[in-house]
Amino acid sequence: MPVENVLEVAAIGKVTVLPGSPAEVLGVRSLRGQILPVIDLGVLLGSPGVKPARLLVAEAGDRKAGFAVDEVCDVGRLPDPTEETDSGLLRGALLDGGDLVGVIDVPAVFDVLERAQG
Amino acid sequence: MSTPDADLTRAFRDEATDRLDQMDAALLAIESGKAGAQAVTELFRHAHTIKGAAGMLGLDDIRVLAHAVEDVLAVMRDAGTFPADFADPLLRATGALRAQVSDGHIPADDLLRELAAIREKPLDAGPPGTGGHPVEDLRDTAIARPQAGQHGGEPQVPSQVSRAGTEQRSLRIPAGKIDHLLDIVGEAVQERRRLAHSLGAAPELPRDVIEALGAEERTLEELKDAAVQMRTMPLDVIAGPLPRAVRDIARAVGKDVEFAVTGADTELDRVILESLSEPLVHLLRNAVVHGMEPPAEREQAGKSPRGRIELRAVPRGSLVEIVVADDGRGVSPDVVEDARREGSLTEVLTRPGYSTAKEVTSLAGRGVGLDAVKTYAQSMGGTFEIRSEPGKGMEVRLLLPLALALLEVLLFERGGAVYGVPLASVEETVTVAETVTLEGRHAMNVRGRALPVVDIAAVLGVTAAPPRERPPALVISAGGRKIVVVCDSLVGKEEVVVKPLGSLLARVEGYLGAAILGDGRIALLTEPAALIRSKRPAGGPPAPAAGPAAASRILVAEDSFTVRELQRSILEAAGYSVLTARDGRDALRVLGTDADIALVVTDLEMPELDGLGLTRAIRADAAHASLPVVIVTSRGSDDDQRRGIEAGADAYMVKSSFDQQAMLATVERLIGR
Repeated sequence: MPVENVLEVAAIGKVTVLPGSPAEVLGVRSLRGQILPVIDLGVLLGSPGVKPARLLVAEAGDRKAGFAVDEVCDVGRLPDPTEETDSGLLRGALLDGGDLVGVIDVPAVFDVLERAQG
Repeated sequence: MSTPDADLTRAFRDEATDRLDQMDAALLAIESGKAGAQAVTELFRHAHTIKGAAGMLGLDDIRVLAHAVEDVLAVMRDAGTFPADFADPLLRATGALRAQVSDGHIPADDLLRELAAIREKPLDAGPPGTGGHPVEDLRDTAIARPQAGQHGGEPQVPSQVSRAGTEQRSLRIPAGKIDHLLDIVGEAVQERRRLAHSLGAAPELPRDVIEALGAEERTLEELKDAAVQMRTMPLDVIAGPLPRAVRDIARAVGKDVEFAVTGADTELDRVILESLSEPLVHLLRNAVVHGMEPPAEREQAGKSPRGRIELRAVPRGSLVEIVVADDGRGVSPDVVEDARREGSLTEVLTRPGYSTAKEVTSLAGRGVGLDAVKTYAQSMGGTFEIRSEPGKGMEVRLLLPLALALLEVLLFERGGAVYGVPLASVEETVTVAETVTLEGRHAMNVRGRALPVVDIAAVLGVTAAPPRERPPALVISAGGRKIVVVCDSLVGKEEVVVKPLGSLLARVEGYLGAAILGDGRIALLTEPAALIRSKRPAGGPPAPAAGPAAASRILVAEDSFTVRELQRSILEAAGYSVLTARDGRDALRVLGTDADIALVVTDLEMPELDGLGLTRAIRADAAHASLPVVIVTSRGSDDDQRRGIEAGADAYMVKSSFDQQAMLATVERLIGR
């Protein structure tokens, strides 16, 4: 995920289930006095995590959400994506030392979430 | 004409609009014979001040017309008489002034001639010599009349500066700053509660610390009240233009209506007030157009030929009750019959499409778009109820929270989660001792009425252990229906800060928002109506999460390609199917060929046929009389809005504050899922 979209990395914390919400919405939690939707990035990308432990708090414009992830591997500078993907949620992908790294398109993910129905 | 400074122009616009509101009120009072002795003097003063300020800004059209109005008023003031039939041309003049104030150059030659003619007419006390003064300079005008001196020389100083400095002692603060302040104060109150919660567990505190905490709590409460107070404004702010709107609508449809506003000084949250205007005008239009009988029919029914419509606002604790009542024909007996069969009048009348169907057959239908008003009340955390008796009129009652940011809720637990419902909708709490099964559903006897019993966990679709024996429950009332909601335990009443779930979760229905409690837990605030709706038997409306109906068709009329395509993409993204038209005439052509269009979105200014013309044409056509019309325009003045609403539009949105979510919400509401 592009660092410019990441506000902070936090523990997953206490997530309150929001009945009636789509499957990728794990629920809501409070963060600094605000209500933050907690989204399971795995469900959205088609590979649900076992038990997400960390929360990537991401922002694009005035939209904000926490993405539950298995782990935060590394923060580093990557070249522009070289590989095209057919996922509308990725900006693209690239090879980094043998690993295929997908680069999340945060605004696109938010768009999808906004349109999703409960 | 020079282009005046933008800030000054805006200040002038605000002031002039305010004065025109007051002039309208005075003229309406004169017209109905209820004006006080000071009315003419006040009218004169307002016209004079508007003229002066317009002159300073080089707004010649306004200056000339205001001057003509002032001259007419001067004649009447000097003669000491004001024939009631002169109110009408003057009302038209204030209307023209409004248009000039908001739109700039609009010639009003006919009106000027008419006013000049009135000025020359002899009045009872004889025409004073001042009538024909071709005085251009306002100072001359004021000084030439000794009477002007009676008002402390005030008319000679047509500047906003002196007024702001002496009369009001008020400060203009951007609303956003106050909202921010309120947010912070709400936060502080919550943090204080969290602190109290943690301290509650501490073994022992020094006495002075306890005292300091007590003092802090009191100060914080005061701070909260003061901040809430800052965001409240009297109903008057939006009720001002209503008498005129009612009068104009009544005239247009040949009804004779007396309109009374009581409780105009009742204070409401600014956010509620701003959004209340549209539903109120809607209700009043319904009352005049559909509720009120023509004078002859009223007389036949043994009523006074002049109907009465009332707008009442009454504070009720942390809530405000707003009532629109009329003494018109009320609902027809078969509607009452439907209501008896289906539960409540409110429910029957707010079923999408109900009233429209009746309209076509009997013309006695009521409540066009009442479902929209109901949805509005609920989205504010309030309730909505309709009462009506055939032949005796109708009463629509909205119960809204006084302050939006802080809501009194009843908190309860179920399955380990905390939920809250607005206290406004809780009738009482009960223990469920004995239930009976009616048509496969549980019901219990509450005060002699069999009410349905539901488990909140089942309603929301969460898994939870079955409730214990004799569980506590809340009796919730919304839209004239009551229901018993079972839970594990009642936590109690609390005033909470309502936090929105945010745009990403906007599609999840049934919640007003969430609140962070003192112990850090999140309480989900449920919409009372959603709880009640969910127990509808099969065949009723589908589950609340259905979203917009599959491919409802919307027609967008807009001459700008960019805007048209923008609106198309927004609507299509939300699942609607969209047709477009370049102007009003094109739109009518499309409407003529496609009977399935469910809603029209239109711009105001378009070539060939503009948005108002289009709206009127749609309303005039029996086949489309109830087709929802949303006006989206850059013209945002109250007058424009009023004209739009009077033409028959269901909603009015301003491009400058254009908000996708708001537009989709409006469209969704009007189409009615």
